[in-house]
Amino acid sequence: MAEEKKPEAPAAAVKPAGPPAPPPLKHPGMVTATIDGREVVVRPGTTVIQAALGMGIEIPYYCWHKRLSVAANCRQCLVEMSNAPGGKLMPGCQATLAEGVAVKTDTPKVKDQQRANLEFLLLNHPVDCSICDQAGECKLQDYYLQYDARPSRLDIPKNVKAKRVALGPTVTLDQERCILCTRCVRFMSEVARNPQLGIANRGTHSEITAFPGKPLDDPYAGNVVDICPVGALTSTDFRFSGRVWFMSSARSICTGCSRGCNVSLDYMGESAYRLRPRENEAVNQEWMCDQGRLTYKPYNTDRVLKARLGRGAEGQAAGREAAVTAAAAALTAARGQGGLALLASPVAALEDLLAAFAVASEGLGLKEVYVGGRPDGWQDQFLKRADENPNRKGLELAAQAFGLTVKPFAALLAAAGAGTVKAVWAVGAELPAAPGALASLPTLVVQASNGGPLAAAATVLLPASPVAEADGTFVNFEGRAQRFEAAWHPRGEARPHADLAASLGRALGLKTPWRSNREAWLALSPRLAGALGPDFKWDSLPSAGRRRGFVPLAAGTVDGRLPGQKERLAPEGTEPIERGVAPSGW
Amino acid sequence: MAYQLDNRPLDLRERFYFPEVIRGIGTLAGHFLRNLFFSRDANPDILARPRGLGYSDNVTLQYPEEKAPYPPGYRGLHRLVPREDGSPRCVACYMCATACPAQCIYIEAAEVPGDPIEKYPAKFVIDELRCVVCGFCVEACPKDAIRMDTGEHAPPSLERVHQLLDEKALLRGPAVSYLSDPWLRRPAPSIPAEALAAMTASARPYPDASDEYAQTPGFSVKALAAEARERAERAGTP
Repeated sequence: MAEEKKPEAPAAAVKPAGPPAPPPLKHPGMVTATIDGREVVVRPGTTVIQAALGMGIEIPYYCWHKRLSVAANCRQCLVEMSNAPGGKLMPGCQATLAEGVAVKTDTPKVKDQQRANLEFLLLNHPVDCSICDQAGECKLQDYYLQYDARPSRLDIPKNVKAKRVALGPTVTLDQERCILCTRCVRFMSEVARNPQLGIANRGTHSEITAFPGKPLDDPYAGNVVDICPVGALTSTDFRFSGRVWFMSSARSICTGCSRGCNVSLDYMGESAYRLRPRENEAVNQEWMCDQGRLTYKPYNTDRVLKARLGRGAEGQAAGREAAVTAAAAALTAARGQGGLALLASPVAALEDLLAAFAVASEGLGLKEVYVGGRPDGWQDQFLKRADENPNRKGLELAAQAFGLTVKPFAALLAAAGAGTVKAVWAVGAELPAAPGALASLPTLVVQASNGGPLAAAATVLLPASPVAEADGTFVNFEGRAQRFEAAWHPRGEARPHADLAASLGRALGLKTPWRSNREAWLALSPRLAGALGPDFKWDSLPSAGRRRGFVPLAAGTVDGRLPGQKERLAPEGTEPIERGVAPSGW
Repeated sequence: MAYQLDNRPLDLRERFYFPEVIRGIGTLAGHFLRNLFFSRDANPDILARPRGLGYSDNVTLQYPEEKAPYPPGYRGLHRLVPREDGSPRCVACYMCATACPAQCIYIEAAEVPGDPIEKYPAKFVIDELRCVVCGFCVEACPKDAIRMDTGEHAPPSLERVHQLLDEKALLRGPAVSYLSDPWLRRPAPSIPAEALAAMTASARPYPDASDEYAQTPGFSVKALAAEARERAERAGTP
């Protein structure tokens, strides 16, 4: 066998010419291509859809999401590319731009494909927009009107699937509306890292399900509702409670933990309806936890809307001014006898705490502040922090600014039990533990936005505004100061803590003329000595007094609508750079 | 109605004046006697009434006893259209409340437990005092669940609250079912089987032209669009 000769290689002379050498790169190190005739220079590996988004060219898509892997299964983003094999259409979300490639997104071939694809997606869709919570923010609705707008040609009955599947405690699934883009499946496995969702069955019988007997109970499961481009995944909490086009959005901060996730507070009239995560790459990207989603509830229910004098059976409603005067008298008397203490809640905003500390140190001569706030909760590696108070860092900064010593709540309980503390002024009524001896103090002035054991035990109860009713700042656990804006004017007699503290200061004879959180900030922020970093600008979010289009609702306005109130939030990507956030590591 | 005047000069008899006065009194007496002793025809179409001897010229409607029927398509009091089982067709989608320029519709949605219909109006209140009777709610409704085909105007009342019609007052009139109704597609615990059978039997393929006419004649978005299209076509063709 060794003698057997291999067939001889063909002579080198007949080597074919091969393709011509590619032209030199137009921009070395980058890729230069054209989309709809406009030249674009991108980094190698950039997909068509990313380049087009950056150029302001719209390519419709369902399954693509910038924070998830590419699935390319909805086929809505197909475009013409000059390097496509056989002139086929290519998925813009998956195909990367190459040097010299010409992409066309508006040819008749592409338009026809977009229309035909929508017809397929809508083939078994029930079109029950009238009972669908996604209506108004649904990409099927938008793209249907934009790219298709033709009646269905299906002349046989549509598929019947389950209409209401409780996937877990927070998410309800309508399998008929699903277009199987698998964004939720990818979110659960890639971002939440807890693959609880999958696709069962084949063909038109495919459906999103959780595993048998296993509910979708991940603490971040609520995000699949936000990323679902259609109405298949709906929030069990928000379901049917209101139509989204009636609602306005305020840029707010979640009060659930010290992470301070940026949220959109969707409200109508004087009620909050839901929290949606707002994009902030440095804090929460665009996610939030399910526990945080429910932190809007105290804005609506169990509110303290009237001042009260006296505790228990002797308690009687009073005007806020009269209650402030009574509180000032009680605190002055307690100061004279000694044993006056200040209890501050790290749920109150930075402005509130600055104003309260100014009054406490200058008007009442206090040297220390006891910290209340909610008890610690669970924690994980993603967003949720164990400290469930949004502004603990801000409280420490404000105390430092006024030279107050920060002491824990347990010390106050001990002092009250020992009788060294006889009177307490509480700014915010959140407590880490039962009020204990505080509940029987002879003087207990409480500023509270919601009822609770401390509010119930107060001898003077002042109605305070929660986050939804005031402009303010939270400083999160890494020292990042973040502004939030008021959604509606304070309900009832309630006023922001800073306002209450200022009027208390006036009743004590101090010069505390500020009437809004902005005025309090302008007057008191020099005491912080730039502790929030040079990039923090309070006016990066407008305050309620100067905001265009911020009108208190006319009495009796049906559904709380006002013309032009639709959306104060800038569309994604157009928000100015100054977002009221300071970089960490100040 | 215009008619030709004959501007000829007065003749001798007319210039005597009194014969013409007496002739005028005669005409007047004729009308008076005819209106006094004869009744008018009851046809509400005034121009179609027979005239002449034996009929009164009087057009006054003897209102409380005699009421002029409203023309077809009169936008009267709203009603919520029921299904055959008596529940409203309304699914609380808020389209009417969205379209309403007077903001007179208040809706609260609720969920039907364990039912594919899922959503119904727990509260549906129309403030008839605030309503401007534009019919936009009827046009906006995707379920043919609200109509203004009752042929009644808002009744007078001494109290404002009596003009707030809630879902119980609004739910009346003949039931309607369409083959496209989602609750006909699958059995639902909230609909008894015989009611579902009745609905399916009486379901029509889609609202036909007569329905639309009965709801808001003279104001149909579809008709307006068709007219606009025709005008554009006429203008476009040389």
